[in-house]
Amino acid sequence: MNEQEQKKRRSDRTEKKNGRAKRDDALKAPKKLKLLFTVVDRKKAELYADLIGAYSVNLQVLLAGEGTAKTETLRLLGLDDTARAVIVSVIRDDLAPAIFDMLEDKFKTVRGGKGIAWSVPMTSAVGVAIYQFLSDYREGREDPVRANERGKSE
Amino acid sequence: MNFSHECIVCIVNTGFSDAVMDAAREFGARGGTVIHGRGTASQETERFFGISIQPDKELVLILVPHDLTDPILHALYRAVGLKTPGQGIAFALPVDQVVGLSTLSLSENSEIPTEPGTPEK
Repeated sequence: MNEQEQKKRRSDRTEKKNGRAKRDDALKAPKKLKLLFTVVDRKKAELYADLIGAYSVNLQVLLAGEGTAKTETLRLLGLDDTARAVIVSVIRDDLAPAIFDMLEDKFKTVRGGKGIAWSVPMTSAVGVAIYQFLSDYREGREDPVRANERGKSE
Repeated sequence: MNFSHECIVCIVNTGFSDAVMDAAREFGARGGTVIHGRGTASQETERFFGISIQPDKELVLILVPHDLTDPILHALYRAVGLKTPGQGIAFALPVDQVVGLSTLSLSENSEIPTEPGTPEK
């Protein structure tokens, strides 16, 4: 077999492989979404919003909230600092473990950054574009989770 | 799916969040977060039912263990339900993952589980 034939065969094989990968991607079920609630001190709201935003999160809403005073006495004395921020973020189900790990770590290490976070499953969203926006799906772009996993294994 | 916790959302007229927390604390909730909001209700509905709806609302978010949800929701219904001045509605959302709950956030009324084999005091 001459060199040209070998090259052609190799390129055919690569094309086949790429085609299969594309078809696999198309056949895959859409990624599930979750609503993440993070309650932190209001001064730390921007910090946490940025941290969560790094995980392919395209939609976040910051709400000003108040914590409920621990005791009536503390409240009467004005010793309770209850200004809180509620960050509502739409996250991808497959990225949730990584986000929760990050948040747990930050809650322990950031000074004055204690907080609580929980997620609620989302069952439906209307519109393909809306779903693609919420799940940060971009055609032709490698999935960030897969890229990260491949980077680790290499 | 296993939902160990639930997020109780209670929407009441402004000024009634303390009543919500008092009722919830009685049944084991520790703390909550209050967000201010504005209710929308059509004027036609108000006229039909002959009631006036105060637009200023407070949303109280309370994260509780699954087994406390029902007693707390019933307590909220009694304390700040639609037939009370608080005109509140409450519902619970399933929570599939939580971080940041310290041991302190265990309910004062709930029993702290003991390790197997350790004698009970």
